Amino acid sequence: MSGNGNGFLPHLTRIAAAREETPDVRTLRLEFVEPDVGSSLEWRAGQFACFTVFGAGESVFTIANPPSRPGYVECTFKELGKVTEALRGLSSGQVVGFRGPYGNSFPLEEWQGRDLVFVGGGIGMAAVAAPLRFVLDRRADFGDVVVLNGARTVADLVFKDEMDEWARIERVRVVRTVDPGGEAPGWNGEVGLIPDVFERLGLEPEGRIVVVCGPPIMLHFMLIALDKLGFAPEQVVTTLENRMKCGVGECGHCNVGRFVVCRDGPVITAAQLATLPADM
Amino acid sequence: MDGWLLSDGDLRGWLAALLSSGSRLIAPVEEDGLTVFRAVASAEAVSLDGYGTSRWSPKEALFPSTEALFSYRLEGNDVALATPPAGEEEQVLFAVRPCDAAGLARLDEMFLADGEDSLYASRRARTATVSLACESARPECFCTAVGGSPAGADGSDLQLVSLGEEWLLRPLTEKGAALAGAASERWAPAPDEALARAEEQRLAVEASIGGGAVPGEWASVLESAFANPLWQQLGERCLSCGICAYVCPSCSCFDVGDEGSAFCGTRCRIWDSCTFAQFTRHASGHNPRSGQPARYRQRVLHKFSYFPLEHEGRFMCVGCGRCVKLCPVGLDIRHSVELVAADAAGSADA
Repeated sequence: MSGNGNGFLPHLTRIAAAREETPDVRTLRLEFVEPDVGSSLEWRAGQFACFTVFGAGESVFTIANPPSRPGYVECTFKELGKVTEALRGLSSGQVVGFRGPYGNSFPLEEWQGRDLVFVGGGIGMAAVAAPLRFVLDRRADFGDVVVLNGARTVADLVFKDEMDEWARIERVRVVRTVDPGGEAPGWNGEVGLIPDVFERLGLEPEGRIVVVCGPPIMLHFMLIALDKLGFAPEQVVTTLENRMKCGVGECGHCNVGRFVVCRDGPVITAAQLATLPADM
Repeated sequence: MDGWLLSDGDLRGWLAALLSSGSRLIAPVEEDGLTVFRAVASAEAVSLDGYGTSRWSPKEALFPSTEALFSYRLEGNDVALATPPAGEEEQVLFAVRPCDAAGLARLDEMFLADGEDSLYASRRARTATVSLACESARPECFCTAVGGSPAGADGSDLQLVSLGEEWLLRPLTEKGAALAGAASERWAPAPDEALARAEEQRLAVEASIGGGAVPGEWASVLESAFANPLWQQLGERCLSCGICAYVCPSCSCFDVGDEGSAFCGTRCRIWDSCTFAQFTRHASGHNPRSGQPARYRQRVLHKFSYFPLEHEGRFMCVGCGRCVKLCPVGLDIRHSVELVAADAAGSADA
């Protein structure tokens, strides 16, 4: 990984572009100060990295661009704490540290030819972005795609422009929803909580894979809804988003029972999830 | 080679030779009425009289409580990074108790397994450990319950045994034999009588430690007892002070953070404890272990269930008893394990 044999030493990147997704969510495109590092970086969709704002600290985000778009890294983060606040304060050309990739990934090879559903709630949409973008970059390799994205309010919806582009791709259906009360004038999407909207989509479980990421409460009710609709736990894939410090299975922060999220996850099927202790 | 019989003068002479060879010698010293491990500059500073257990385990010498990972400096619109200079000196951890030496072996499993930690590994490679067999047990000792012994070899390169006026020194690894090195040519081979006395001492100390061994199968029993209501009872007494983790020879959890300003500073790793409320708290405010009972349960289960289930049954507890002795509310980890496992096993039988 990093030089000098010290795995904690980040690579340096610069902010090449910043995009405001919502009032508190931003996407950064980061390019490596040493071009060779960027061009040789390999990762798989679903893996994460540790991003540094020097002087503020390090935060863990999923690598939001798919491996089909190599040479740079993208992260989409919500301003919630010390590091993300500092990160939001940086602008184009400023330096951000990067170390990774870490963790496991979505088994996209196994999913070739299958119908896929990507469900993202709030900032959880960032976690499904890499596999979704990969699938759309390799459109012919996969079956029908449904994207279900929800947020508390219209203003909190991320990837607005991209959603419109995705909706124009063949055999892709994009459904957006906001929580009741979160609609705004001119809103032409759904109103309702993600699990309810998902049920209304009437998707047949047969052969389908559902990737679902979002806040713990949404995940809880989505898993109940999916079970009710007849989706087997093996067809349902999510990511665990525990607090992490090292990213390499050492620091002891992210485990759920014997499952060490940074090493054994973050990607996990609902079937695996059911075997873990209720320590979430 | 079964060992050598050394006079006190031989022993101090050897330590002096190690020091003059440039090795760092980390040994027990008396400080304000407590025994602590310190780097010493002379063999005379080493205190071996009436030493029970040091207040802190000697793990600091391998896994410092605060350690610089790298430093950063903003220069205009650039950032310059520098790693701390890699140490080169050899270090000798001298007269650590066998439980503490075993604690180092558990740390090895955390830091040297899949994808080794280069900072730890570098220090580990330059460290030799001389353990000191226990002459007696303290009330809080329970090494024999977790696979250890007052003369356990786990994690030791050499072992020293006090035989009254003399010392028995036994090499346990090649590194240990090398550390004895040329000095050993002047030492008398240990007579059978000395080895027999050491063995008697081991048996006597073992016998004085109460309680049986924690059965290996309890690791699985405890994992299935995750929802046992006793965790609530036990864990709500925990004050979240973290002393158990700080004095523990095998606790390896750490936090990572920046010390400094927006212009220059150091990224450090710092010991952390799973019993702290912030330990698992997400930025969103969601906390997977939202109550103290869940956090205390994590501490016990990591040591007696999760770790042994992944490491051929070895507990991530070496029975030094420091946490039992120093817990302000009298929580006793072995007692907690016994209580929950017995309850779970009992309800499984019923």
